[in-house]
Amino acid sequence: MNVLECEGLAKAFDELVAVDDVGFHIAAGETYGLLGPNGAGKTTTISMISGILESDAGKVTVAGKEITTRTTDGNAEIGYVPQDIAIYPDLTARENLRFFGKLYGIPKASLGPRVDEVLEVIGLSDRGDDRTEEYSGGMKRRLNIGIGLLHEPSLLILDEPTVGVDPQSRNSILESVELLGQSGTAVLYTTHYMEEAERLCDRVAIIDGGKIRAEGTRRELVELVGQRDTINLGVIGSAYRLVEALESMPEIHKITAADASVEILVDGASSVLPRILEVAQQSEVGVSGVEVVEPNLESVFLHLTGKALRD
Amino acid sequence: MKAWAITTTNIKRLVRDPSTIFFVFVFPMLLILVLGASFGGGFTPKVGVHVAGDGVYAQGFADQIDANEEFESIDYSDSGALLEDVERGIVQMGVIIPANYDDTLASGGTATVEYVGRLDQSSVQYRASIEAVATDQSAVFGAARIVEGEGLADFDSAVTAAQLVASGPGGSEVVVSTTGEALFGDIGQFDLGAPSNLILFVFLTSLAGSAALIQTRRLGVSRRMVSTPTSIGQILLGETGGRFAVAMIQGLFIMVGSAVAFDVKWGNLLGAGVLLVLIALIGAGAGMLMGALFDNDEQAGSMGVFIGLGLAALGGAMFPLEVFPDTMVKVAHITPHAWAIDGFAELIRHGGTLASIATEVLVLMGFAVVLLVLGTWRLRAKLTH
Ligand SMILES: Nc1ncnc2c1ncn2[C@@H]1O[C@H](COP(=O)(O)OP(=O)(O)OP(=O)(O)O)[C@@H](O)[C@H]1O
Ligand SMILES: [Mg+2]
Repeated sequence: MNVLECEGLAKAFDELVAVDDVGFHIAAGETYGLLGPNGAGKTTTISMISGILESDAGKVTVAGKEITTRTTDGNAEIGYVPQDIAIYPDLTARENLRFFGKLYGIPKASLGPRVDEVLEVIGLSDRGDDRTEEYSGGMKRRLNIGIGLLHEPSLLILDEPTVGVDPQSRNSILESVELLGQSGTAVLYTTHYMEEAERLCDRVAIIDGGKIRAEGTRRELVELVGQRDTINLGVIGSAYRLVEALESMPEIHKITAADASVEILVDGASSVLPRILEVAQQSEVGVSGVEVVEPNLESVFLHLTGKALRD
Repeated sequence: MKAWAITTTNIKRLVRDPSTIFFVFVFPMLLILVLGASFGGGFTPKVGVHVAGDGVYAQGFADQIDANEEFESIDYSDSGALLEDVERGIVQMGVIIPANYDDTLASGGTATVEYVGRLDQSSVQYRASIEAVATDQSAVFGAARIVEGEGLADFDSAVTAAQLVASGPGGSEVVVSTTGEALFGDIGQFDLGAPSNLILFVFLTSLAGSAALIQTRRLGVSRRMVSTPTSIGQILLGETGGRFAVAMIQGLFIMVGSAVAFDVKWGNLLGAGVLLVLIALIGAGAGMLMGALFDNDEQAGSMGVFIGLGLAALGGAMFPLEVFPDTMVKVAHITPHAWAIDGFAELIRHGGTLASIATEVLVLMGFAVVLLVLGTWRLRAKLTH
């Protein structure tokens, strides 16, 4: 069952079209990535999905309930983690959590224990009673996320949650997201980090200029743009003899040789590689090293939009 | 209720900030104290008394001034020092009783007592009291002189006898009462300053407090609130409640604090309470409007102080409306301040009730409704666009 369904979302700020006909769906337990550069329209899309920004067109339902800026029912299903840290600096983490817990409608009796649980999850148990203005950037980020987890939402929306975070905090954030996905939460994750999208997301939408350019699993996206694996071989002996021997193989699209190395473009490196090594042996060319480079979303993005993900 | 959670969080944040504590609670009370002490009408004036000789009657004159509750009398052994202190305002007036006072009286002459005051209105008022002492003494000495002249007793014993008669019952006494309205009324020294300060500070805090609202918006906390299952109506109600609560807490503190510490009489309690609630509502509405119109909290904070002081000056919360020319009094009434001050003046000076300030209450209600509607309307738009 789909937790989130949205279609035809559009938003313009005066002349500027920020989001144009965006639609997708996310199933329970699925992590869906919105991958796009700065200004692509990720935050605008998410704001409309969370019911905090009036859309010009389109429809959003979460767990079967329609979301607009005027509805509140469906909002209980959403945990929204904004891109910018949205916490009171002069309150403690516990006070921030209690405050938003009340707004999420968590019953009084379970609020205290739930706040403790979340503090534990985000690793702030021992700093829970300090004012958040005394926190490090990473600690603030974790609290920012924790608030969105309070009410155990069916849909967790994370807007670039790892920006400005040290590698350790970043890793713990990514691990938490993976765990949430496994526990059945639908996750909408925006990022302009290709590696994060590849690691976390079951499906990814490439968004640019307010439009979704392509959508699918990583494999699907790669295939969609006709990207191939690259095998780099380090050779001992004549690279040219190897090139000659391999040229007849149909799986090989392109092969180029340098002094002591050969670069081979293939469909599906894993199935072709054993045969290539076999041919090398038959041709009496020694192989000193093998490297397989699978195409990534970065290259998909480049192919689709003609520009790099990060400028 | 979710609005309540937002309101209480507003209050929690306020009381946690030491600088607001100072400006919201300590500063207004200090100002009431300072203004009351320097400009208030009813404090005990000090009279410096220099007795040049060592005559018994001269000392009697000084003792009688000392006995007068209206004054605090201070003895000066040096007339030069006394004159200087009068000039510097350390004492409000000086009385110099010459060395030959007793001798002149005993020889049947007219003794002169020198009164030194400054050229202000209160000086004239004080002089009357000192003159009353002189008149008292003259009566005693006049009577004694008659007794002495009849050969019934010597001057000194005649004076003693006359003094006994004067302090006993009988004779005539002038009891003073007033009619009409005095410029600065016959009221406690803090009574007028306190309401003006209340209005001034509640507005100042409300307007400057819009910074907190802008900060909440800029931090994205407001948008985050919208993302929760909380209606925008509840959020607006909560934020308005927060502004209102802060204004009420401050207003109540100033009211109760000034009543307890400086004995300020606020008049009819119901009337004063209604005025306070309306002032707080208007402050809340103005704060919401500022909070929606400005996007920069520091800018709003300083503009708030600027507008707050400007409105207070215009509306008579800094200088009494009585000293304004007529047209300015009319202009002053475009501010809620002037109406609120009128209301308090009616309650405090004329023993007015809620009924007698109905006009002021209605006008203030109008201010409150307009500002609250405008404020919430603009803020609602800011939250979802
Ligand atoms: N409130 C606004 N007013 C005017 N323009 C806006 C507003 N919000 C966003 N935009 C514009 O809309 C476009 C999309 O912005 P958006 O914040 O959705 O991008 P994003 O993908 O989240 O980028 P980033 O990775 O930098 O967060 C941008 O060109 C931005 O300048
Ligand atoms: Mg963004």
